[in-house]
This record gives sequence, structure tokens and C-alpha cells, in this order.
Amino acid sequence: MKLGNHLRKYRFEHNEISQQDLANEVGVTRLTIHSVETGKFVPSTLLALKIARFFKAKLEDIFYLTNKERKKK
Amino acid sequence: MKKLENLLKYTTIALGFASSTLFIISYFIFNKLRPKMVRFGVVSPAEESLLNLVGVGLLLFLVFCLLSFLRIAKYLKKARKVSFFSVVLIIAGVLSLLFVFSDIALLNDIGKQYKHGLAQPEWLILYPIMAFQFMTGLALTFSHLFKLKEKDQTKHVARDSNIFLAVQYVGIVCGLMGLFLSSLGFLFPSAWSLTIHTTISSITLLTPYVLAVAYWFITKLQEKNRRWYDEKQMQDIGKSAFLTLIVSVVFMTGLFIANYKNLGGVVSILWLPLYIFLLLFLFSLGNLYFSGDVNKA
Repeated sequence: MKLGNHLRKYRFEHNEISQQDLANEVGVTRLTIHSVETGKFVPSTLLALKIARFFKAKLEDIFYLTNKERKKK
Repeated sequence: MKKLENLLKYTTIALGFASSTLFIISYFIFNKLRPKMVRFGVVSPAEESLLNLVGVGLLLFLVFCLLSFLRIAKYLKKARKVSFFSVVLIIAGVLSLLFVFSDIALLNDIGKQYKHGLAQPEWLILYPIMAFQFMTGLALTFSHLFKLKEKDQTKHVARDSNIFLAVQYVGIVCGLMGLFLSSLGFLFPSAWSLTIHTTISSITLLTPYVLAVAYWFITKLQEKNRRWYDEKQMQDIGKSAFLTLIVSVVFMTGLFIANYKNLGGVVSILWLPLYIFLLLFLFSLGNLYFSGDVNKA
């Protein structure tokens, strides 16, 4: 079971906020946001909640459980 | 602040041009001196004093490299990504900086061997090394003039990752150079010196890494709501440390077994630098690998 997310969709709906700006808002590096978005890194509960709070959304609207394996690029 | 940055930029560019010019002059000085020294002809005091120009050139190049690193680090802090060109510049710059010390050692050896009437094969190493430094100097000057621009940067970076990655690149170069140099001790055990080859060389090779870490440390001290690493970096460091532990234990055990019958030999003064540079190389490589494919990010 993997953690999926709609981070990219939410960023675009939020005035196409960049990964760097989102990273600045939640206090992590841009690479961390990139890794979360591409499913390479599972964020901590704290970071997931900070992201949800920033987008004024529920946690489960952004993050969800999936059985699909992440496709390797 | 802007004035200070401009002063740094133009000083660096001026030093770049000055050191590049002195590299060209050094080439002509060497071409004048080498035929005489190889044939053990008489070198006049005036000709010998020309070598001072070479020394000034190397000193200027050393300062130029250090200022270049400072400018690259300042640029990378807000750069959108660590580009391939930046990585090449960092690696070539660190190598060129370290080669300044080898230039001095080679020129010193050449002078001694000439005075004692011995052959000077070091000339063959000196030319390509200085050519490499010249090319790196030109590339760095070019980057200061045309590449390191504000338009490729983001406005605000609350928590940095690029400097952290740049430190890993420096760590890989220093680690590899240290491993290579220390390994030479097994090939030339009788000529190996504890003071020069082990102690001074190791300190010299570690200097760029120490400077890079010091710069990262200073940027961290300037951060608001400072946290040394974010959670992804912390995880990467953990994985990297584990990899380093496993490989270094295997490597050091292998070194012990391979030298079991001669533990009092050259290995007694090589194991520590080998261990330090192996750790540096593996840890930096691991951090870079686990941080993901940076250029795609």
C-alpha cells in the first residue's frame, strides 16, 4: 500500500504556486516537496497537516492510500 | 549589500583575467627555462626571478578560486536547481584549487632536482595540470560574466537544499582525491613521508570540504526558524550513514587482512587518511544519491 497525493493539482488550483513557494510556506526544502509530489518520499504527519492547512483542505483530500506501485521513470 | 555583491563580482572577474594572463606568461617562462634546466645549463638570477611571476599567478588563482566558490555558493542558494554546468564548475574548481598546491610542490621538486643534477620528469605533469587550471579559470570567469544571473533565481528560499547538495559534490571530489593520493602510498612505500604525504596532503585535501561545510553552516545560522535539516534530508542522511557504515567496515576489514603480515609497514600511516577519505566519499555520494535525481527535480 502506497501514499498517493493530489499535490500537483492543488498547486495548480492555488494560482500555480511553485514548489519553492510551497516549500517556503511549510518550512521544508524544494526537493522535499518535489519528492512528496512524485511519491518518492512519504511525508511526516506534521508536514502533511501543514500542507493541508496551507491549501485549506482536508488531509484526505490531498493524500490518499493506493494499492498502485509508483511507476519508475 | 548590492554594492558589496558588485564589488565581489568585479574583483572576482578582474582576478580571473589577471590569473589567466599570468598562466599564459607562466607558459612562456617555462618554455624559456625548461630547455636550460633539462640540459643542466646555467639559469641566470634574472631568469630565476621570473618564477616569482609564476608564484604570484598561482596565488592570484588561489584567491580567484575561493572568491568564485563564494559567488557560486551565493548564486546556488537561490538557484532554481543545481545545473550540470554548476556541478562541472564546482568539481573543476575544487580540483584546480587543490592543484595549486601540487604546482608548488612540483616546481619545488624541479628546482631541487636541477640543483642536484637530476632529471626532472615533473615538467610532464606540470604542463597538463596548469593547462587544466587555465581552462577552469576561463570557464569560471565566463560564468561570472554571463551565467550567474539573478533571473535564474527564485526570490526567496526559506530552507536551502542547493548548498547542501553542493557540499556533497565537494565531498565526493575531496574524498576521491584523498583515496587516490593515499593509495599511492602502497605503490611507493619507501618514498612515503608521514609529515608531507599523509598529514599535510590530507589537511590540504580536506580544506575545500571544510570551507564548503563552513559556508553551509553560516547560511544555516542566518536562517529564520533554523532547523539543520528538513525531514527528507534527515532520512537521506540516515540511509547514507548506514551505507557508509557497512562499506567502511568491509573495506577496513579487507585492508587489515591484506596487510596482516605487515601491519607495522606503510599501512600504519595510511589507514587513517584512507578511512577518513572513504567515509567522506561514501557519505557524500550516499547523500547525493538518496536525495534523488537532482537535475530532474
